[in-house]
Amino acid sequence: MKTLLTLWILTLSIGVGAAEKLKTDSKTLSEKLEDKKYYYSALNEFFRETYNRQVTAADVTRLEELLFFTGIELLDDYEPSLLDRYPTSSTRFILGRKALLDKNYPRALEYFNKVHPGHRYYPETKLLESQVYDKTSNVPQEFESIAQCQKSAEKMESGAPGEKIKRYYRMIYEICVVNKARHYYKEGDYKNALAAYEKIPKSSYKWPYILLEKAWVYYQLGDLNRTLGLLVTYKSPLLETYFFPEAEYLAALSYFRLCLYQDATTIITQYYQVYRPRFTALENVLKQNRNSQTYFYNLMFKPGEDLKTHEDFVKQIITRLKKQTRFSLDFNSVYKINQEIKRISGKEKAGIKDKLVNHLNEVKGNMVAKINYNAKVDIFEFLETVPFFSSELFKLNLEILAKKKDLVYGNKKLISDRSRGDYSNIQRSRFEYFWKFEGAFWADELGDYSLGLKSNCQTIRREGDGE
Amino acid sequence: MKKTTLILGVLFVTSVFAQDDKVIYQYKKYEKFDLGNLEVKGQLIAPGDISVRERERKRFEMDLYNRKDFDNFIKKDVESLR
Repeated sequence: MKTLLTLWILTLSIGVGAAEKLKTDSKTLSEKLEDKKYYYSALNEFFRETYNRQVTAADVTRLEELLFFTGIELLDDYEPSLLDRYPTSSTRFILGRKALLDKNYPRALEYFNKVHPGHRYYPETKLLESQVYDKTSNVPQEFESIAQCQKSAEKMESGAPGEKIKRYYRMIYEICVVNKARHYYKEGDYKNALAAYEKIPKSSYKWPYILLEKAWVYYQLGDLNRTLGLLVTYKSPLLETYFFPEAEYLAALSYFRLCLYQDATTIITQYYQVYRPRFTALENVLKQNRNSQTYFYNLMFKPGEDLKTHEDFVKQIITRLKKQTRFSLDFNSVYKINQEIKRISGKEKAGIKDKLVNHLNEVKGNMVAKINYNAKVDIFEFLETVPFFSSELFKLNLEILAKKKDLVYGNKKLISDRSRGDYSNIQRSRFEYFWKFEGAFWADELGDYSLGLKSNCQTIRREGDGE
Repeated sequence: MKKTTLILGVLFVTSVFAQDDKVIYQYKKYEKFDLGNLEVKGQLIAPGDISVRERERKRFEMDLYNRKDFDNFIKKDVESLR
């Protein structure tokens, strides 16, 4: 009886094993690759297998599963007509984003409306959708999309498994908040803009950038002391990587509006003598590598010998670039592709290995070229702001000279005897605490500074000098 | 009638001969003007004193850059995500 039972179990197990084998054999190559967790290779095979046949619901589900592991970064180069055949939320998101960048707003909305509310790209979809409504001047819908963006981003953040994914959703949430503030600014509603900016905590990655925007809001509100106080924050050691020519210009402009011409001139002179020559030299070095496919990618990890003298500036720009979500996602893809190449190289036989590795190297090359391109564009866009604000500072300098000339022609002089500020000139709400600046920056007080300068624009008649 | 014809004939001959003569104009090599002695006749219509109409000094104001919106930042934020 025991022997019979053993034989039966053995037969049964053989049968199950054979069926399993048969099932395995009936699997497509992409499925086999997916089973081995070669997701990037599987994704490529999946498109090969399905692009010239009817796409089924099962295909759509599978594509979403694969994209969950690979991310959508490598689909950026795919033909929209190909992606359009796969009605997944991910592909809809990519296509909507492309349409938005191409300024085809109705098409963008069409795609965004088809992204599922439970999908991981839903908050970003709502962010982009708000942009479409902004471009088409549909304010109620824009605010509605912003509200949905914030709500869904918060929800996704709370359920996110890892710290990096949480940060991604937090970033989207904050961009939506800031975009609302920017909308108010554009409308001239500075009080509401300020209230929206205040919602960004100091721990946020966006916060250092927000300082400049808030400084503009205070400038428009006429609180020039607060503008200057916010811009002083960039001088703290914690924010030394954040150098913006626009911040220098705004500081000089604020001093100019306070008729503190000497202070404005000091900023202008420093800009011309210190920053501009260094940026021009840096630009010249970088221009030589404008057409390289890898130079800027390599720069992200180590500046070359030719940049040694500009290392500080390069480091500052690169540090900012590395904090971008885009860089994290792209670089993460390169890392995962490398891991897949290693595993394939170690485990697979020569024929299939060469085929898969060659393809993965191509994909990796594309990703590296993409990072390289994005870094190059960002660096040059930043460097281009330098001559623009140089020109604006030059105009400001001329204006200062003209004002001084007016005083001479009018036989007048400014009232100030260069006494520096008073606490009575500081505007603050009843909710704000107050401490004196003792010559040191404290992390918790960054961004809350205000200068106490009095406007120097009152003039008095110049007394005769006895000649 | 005869007289008239004779006068016309003489005038014609004279004018024909006159065309052949070369006329040489000679200017004075030196001429002295006594400005103190010159007298211009006419009526004085110019104002007696120098007057300048007052106007405010033209002041060209520079169009200094003032940020109107943050549209380029919005675009940059979207791009920085992917």
